[in-house]
Amino acid sequence: MPTTLIFPFILLATGLLLALAFSHPAIRPRLTSERMGWILALFPATAFITLLLAYAGKPAETPLTFSAAWIPSLGVNFSLYLDGLAALFALIITGIGTLIVIYAGHYFHGDETAWRFQAYTLLFMSAMLGVVLAGDLVTLFLFWEGTSISSFLLIGYKYKDEAARKGAFKSLFITGGGGIALLAGFAFIMVLSGGSDFATILTSREVLQASPLYPVFFGLIALGAFTKSAQVPAHIWLPEAMSAPTPASAFLHSATMVKAGVYLLARFNPVLGGNDTWFWTLSIFGFATMLTGAYLGLKQNDLKALLAYSTISQLGVLVALIGLGHDYAYKALVIGILAHALYKSSLFMSAGIIDHETGTRDLRLLGGLRKQMPILFILMLIPALSMAGLPPLFGFLAKETLLASAVYKDLSAVLTVIFPLMTVLAGAMLLAQSGLLIRGTFLGQPTDPKHPPHGHDPHWGFWLAPAIPAFLSLLVGLMPEPGFLVSILADAAKSVYGESVKVSLALWTGFNLPLGLSIAAISLGSLLFWQLARIRPILASILPNFSANNLYDATLNGIAWGAREATLLQRGQIRFYIGVMLFTTVAIFLSFGALPPLEKLQGSLSFEDLGNHFFWLRIIILLVALLGSLASVLILRDLHAILALGVSGLAVAGWMALEPAPDVALVQVVVDILATIILVLTLTIIPRKLRKKAREFTLNRTRFGVFRDAFIAFSLGLLVFVVSLASLNTRDERTNLAEAYHIDGAKTLAGAKDMVGAIVVDFRAIDTMLEIMVFAFAALGIYTLLHFTVRKAKDQETEPEEHRNPPGEPRGSFGLPTSPFLHMLAYAVLPLAVILALTQLIYGHDQPGDGFTAGVTIGLAIASWYIIFGYNATKAKLTWLNPVRLIGIGLAIALVNALLGFVFGKGFFAPVDYGAMLGISAYLPVGLVLSNAFIFEIAICVTILGASVLILDNLGHPTEADTESTALLKEIGQE
Amino acid sequence: MNFLTALAIATMFALGLFQLMRRNTIRSATGLVLLSNAVNMFLFTTGAYDGVAAAYYQAQGPVSDPLPQALVLTAIVISAGGFAFVLSLLYIIAERYKTSNSDEVEGLRN
Repeated sequence: MPTTLIFPFILLATGLLLALAFSHPAIRPRLTSERMGWILALFPATAFITLLLAYAGKPAETPLTFSAAWIPSLGVNFSLYLDGLAALFALIITGIGTLIVIYAGHYFHGDETAWRFQAYTLLFMSAMLGVVLAGDLVTLFLFWEGTSISSFLLIGYKYKDEAARKGAFKSLFITGGGGIALLAGFAFIMVLSGGSDFATILTSREVLQASPLYPVFFGLIALGAFTKSAQVPAHIWLPEAMSAPTPASAFLHSATMVKAGVYLLARFNPVLGGNDTWFWTLSIFGFATMLTGAYLGLKQNDLKALLAYSTISQLGVLVALIGLGHDYAYKALVIGILAHALYKSSLFMSAGIIDHETGTRDLRLLGGLRKQMPILFILMLIPALSMAGLPPLFGFLAKETLLASAVYKDLSAVLTVIFPLMTVLAGAMLLAQSGLLIRGTFLGQPTDPKHPPHGHDPHWGFWLAPAIPAFLSLLVGLMPEPGFLVSILADAAKSVYGESVKVSLALWTGFNLPLGLSIAAISLGSLLFWQLARIRPILASILPNFSANNLYDATLNGIAWGAREATLLQRGQIRFYIGVMLFTTVAIFLSFGALPPLEKLQGSLSFEDLGNHFFWLRIIILLVALLGSLASVLILRDLHAILALGVSGLAVAGWMALEPAPDVALVQVVVDILATIILVLTLTIIPRKLRKKAREFTLNRTRFGVFRDAFIAFSLGLLVFVVSLASLNTRDERTNLAEAYHIDGAKTLAGAKDMVGAIVVDFRAIDTMLEIMVFAFAALGIYTLLHFTVRKAKDQETEPEEHRNPPGEPRGSFGLPTSPFLHMLAYAVLPLAVILALTQLIYGHDQPGDGFTAGVTIGLAIASWYIIFGYNATKAKLTWLNPVRLIGIGLAIALVNALLGFVFGKGFFAPVDYGAMLGISAYLPVGLVLSNAFIFEIAICVTILGASVLILDNLGHPTEADTESTALLKEIGQE
Repeated sequence: MNFLTALAIATMFALGLFQLMRRNTIRSATGLVLLSNAVNMFLFTTGAYDGVAAAYYQAQGPVSDPLPQALVLTAIVISAGGFAFVLSLLYIIAERYKTSNSDEVEGLRN
């Protein structure tokens, strides 16, 4: 079953959810962190077993795959892929992961926030498992980034500690940056090989290696892998990531995350490897990292830092091995991965126990713990010996195979000297590190006899977790040829090499060169260790201030400097920003030459190309629109400018009517009037002196500013001119954007003669639904803004409302009495508007007009009431007018109506004719169809009515009626 | 005719932008209206033009493209809502900063 590959993810996700559930206040106090650890460990443990069974059960030669469509249009699938290499990593991840979860339960003894750590750990575990099981580049990248983010959470777990925050940021900055490079590299591979799944990529070796772009995408991928696997000079994040809680360090920085880069290189070795670029890049970086890590590790006094540097060294070894490119190297690679995962996770966990029990992990304070913690001494000695590469441990085997591949016969003569030399040197230093670790912690006497470290062996559950990998390190070394292990390692090596690799786990291979080198390394290491007390001060004096951190700091400072300089552009002038954006737009357009071809612009001076329909009318209307717009800019008095603007908007409506687009023209008319009214109303609420002051710079006094803005506007106008002219000239050649389905189906499917109406309320009903929601929310937003921020503060300082607007004779919005004739007119306008609206609702489906126009029409009639009777009197007269309630009712009707389409029809908003359903169609007035489109129109009408009244309410509220409206009136009188 | 139409669209567009760059906030708001009118007219030009009959069932002759019309209809409504919201912001600016000059609105700087 391919779905078995999904199963581990489901398990881990369940564990994650359970960990989150444990945060519940009802559970948290009753569940100790230890028990929580044991419960949660069931999930990775089951995942481990599932993976083991899946791997054991699959056919030997073919990988197990799973694939589900994800972004089919891009050919991207969510794919999983289990072969030997993936299985090796997946088993390490879930196996050690299980131990970590148990261990963390004890580590966080008594800490009520342990669930958070466990949740992060399980999150990380899922991401890491995804990286090694992914069968598709996009899937792989997604999980890859997942490990960066979840490890950021884990490293920064103690977020109150500045070092933790810095370490977390540094790791995210470096590995995240590498992730971006990786994405770019993947993109190259996907384009070149024509697919993102492993099946395609693993068979595209020739295409990829023949490509002249090979150095580019190989470099990008190497950048991603090297940053993740802490290769020089990106290794600096790993020591600082030690500020993570020790369970996280043991998991991420020994067995899993830092190996992701190694995994990636190993995975792509059959495709991208086997050439000189690959060999030299991986060898140089790998060996450099190996030596750097081994050397720097010797300088450390912190247990975890020492372990971190030895990890860096080991990662360098693994990367170099991938580069070597012969079967023996891949044997060494897989053995090295497993051996390192076992001893390093065990050492980290033990170091955590020491820290936990004695309160320090500084080698200068520790010492002599042998008698106090005998069990831990043994538990730490075994993996330390493995790290030192001493027989009969697994680490010895790893070092032997490493040395054997370093002296491999296919390498050129120079390298057969240099590689073994470096390997021996690094091996010696690692041995000295192991010795330092054990002696500084357990042997001898405390360095500071006045404050000897206190500690005792912990509860067995605590040391069980490091005991298992330590024991395995010994067991694998002792067992002659454990069959299953050999087969999985051989299978993994085969995935890396592309052909089968013979793997044997025999410790004794006879007297040969590797054994001799091994003895040399051990002797040199022992010497180093013996003289360590003398050597370390010398080491510390070499380049004490030099590290790749200088580079990192310089980069960060550079970014901060750049950001500071960039904010100089932020002058706090919105119009400046707009100007810059517009100017850039023009520049981009011109630089790309994205202009329509010239021939599209020819022949357009003729005025007869539209068959002379309403020829002069069109010309007059366009001229009115032009002049109105121009006047709205040039006229200095706000009121007059706004009126000119209204005229230009009406002319646009006229142009639309001649299009002919009667529905749109109607909407444009009502919206234009509404916009003009609310603009005028806004004038009444903005203090006059402010506007007078602002008027002085309406056309800036500095000529330069006007010219600059005019130039920018003119350039964009020219651009728009060219584009619209081209668009207009080709209109006749185009076919309708609306599909025949909409055009022909308007009557048959939607029951509407009006195609635009059919599109609005039927075919694209959800759009319209959202549209009225936007309008309603804009109105509600205005209400909230003005009501709760400004006006509230104001009401408290001014007198109550009735004092400002005394009852009695109704006064118009300008604070002056209005004539009885106007009152009569107002009384007549509202019912007429309602009748007009009803007509539009009923016949809107076949004639111009729709619910929106209807709603605004009534709203405009009410606006006339505001003007004639004033705000308070209107409110008193029209008690049914509660805008917020109207909006609510309208939207509710719309939603219920849409859902009824689901019940009676074929889906959300599906057309239903209730009249026909109830059998009353014949009794309805001619032209009225009781369909859900009709109900939707009513809903639109009610919503829009509520929203426009709400807008008028708030923008037309006479807050400063006494001062402002009289001033406005004077202004009108003056002109 | 096309020439004049394109000229009207472009002019309204340019005038709208010019207004948008004024310091006087009310002028910026009026610029927004001009701009959206110009854009709506431009949207019309993207549709096909097949004659002078309105897009109705059993119209006399071929009809023009109803889809841009429906889009413009929606656009008008939404820009009206947005415009009203902008006006309320002008009012708030006037209340809080005691100015109608967008350059004097502090708080965006630093």
